[in-house]
Amino acid sequence: MRKLTVRYFIEGEGRIDLQLRLFAGAGGLDKEIKYGEINRPGLALAGFFDYFAYDRIQIFGQGETAFMNQLSCEQKMKTYSDFFSYDLLCCIFTHDYVPDKLFLEFAEKKNVPIFLSKRGTTRFITLFVHVIDEIFAEQVTLHATLVDVFGVGVLLTGKSGVGKSETALELIERGHRLVADDMVIVKKIDESLLMGAGSEILKHHIEIRGIGIVNVREIFGIRSVRNRKRIEMVILLEEWDSAKEYDRLGLDDKKYSILDIEVPYITVPVRPGRNIPIIIETAALNQRLKKIGINSARELDEKIKKWIMTEGQK
Amino acid sequence: MVEKDVIVNSDAGIHARPAMMIVREAMKYPCDVMLIKDSVEADAKSIMSVLGLAIISGSKLTIRAHGEGETELVDYLINLIEKDFRV
Repeated sequence: MRKLTVRYFIEGEGRIDLQLRLFAGAGGLDKEIKYGEINRPGLALAGFFDYFAYDRIQIFGQGETAFMNQLSCEQKMKTYSDFFSYDLLCCIFTHDYVPDKLFLEFAEKKNVPIFLSKRGTTRFITLFVHVIDEIFAEQVTLHATLVDVFGVGVLLTGKSGVGKSETALELIERGHRLVADDMVIVKKIDESLLMGAGSEILKHHIEIRGIGIVNVREIFGIRSVRNRKRIEMVILLEEWDSAKEYDRLGLDDKKYSILDIEVPYITVPVRPGRNIPIIIETAALNQRLKKIGINSARELDEKIKKWIMTEGQK
Repeated sequence: MVEKDVIVNSDAGIHARPAMMIVREAMKYPCDVMLIKDSVEADAKSIMSVLGLAIISGSKLTIRAHGEGETELVDYLINLIEKDFRV
């Protein structure tokens, strides 16, 4: 994984903007953020330094700032010099609170970046944890194509040349949206949530044999693309193999494991003349039905079983 | 499985044309072949995948092939990259 530095909070391409303002300590911007965790430094300011998580991101809310305000000059000197004797990562003050001069002097001297946020502490922490979780999320790069089909994130996989990009193009033409072609960066945001996106450079480009590289956003417009999408099903495209048994019923749910998360999975055999995009559309809609508890194959099976039971008794 | 490392020395890195040369050669072989940079894997048979690695001059690249013709292909690709795509 790439190294993440404090600089990320104020600059960097493709980052999620936390709307932080750098106020002091610019010299420490290249410190590495090793842990995606925060600390409220109240106890440390009060002089209790056992278990002080100095290498976490320090968040100063109204409690901390009020405490600092009531300190006398001598107390401040003592508190701050103790506090800054640790190799602090960075401090964030919420409510746009500007710390006192002495604090800022220490920060400059020790190269500890000080940021201000307009937000209230709880709101800020909620947002911040969300962003940090995403940055520190486990990730993997897959050779696949991700398309949003009727709101279902469909990951198309299969060997090169099987027609993933062509299928994606046809789906785009039918009004669906491309997330990434040929290279999908998948992040495990939560124990049950896989988020897929394209790489920054390749964004919304697609390679079609015979034409070359085209920019989908430029050709089909903004409605044909989206930046990220939750992966809800995996479709493996493979050359039709007459010796292989393909699923004819859809009674058994198969799962595909990505970063230890199980995703519903089907295999679609490709053969000239077979309309793959419409099969994918149907699979996506079927997946949506399954999600709300309707399983067509199982329901038909139940119906037939019931019919056999009643008719068979006559 | 065959795996070899190579350092990319071309000044312009692996941009569209060199990527195409890699893909074109890889397509001739039935084996699976991956380019790996900073633990990110890319299918060497896909232009977009190769371009997505953003390989710049000085990047360390691992080429890993698995299947029929693996040794031949890896050696060819290593040679291609070492000779700065002037083969």
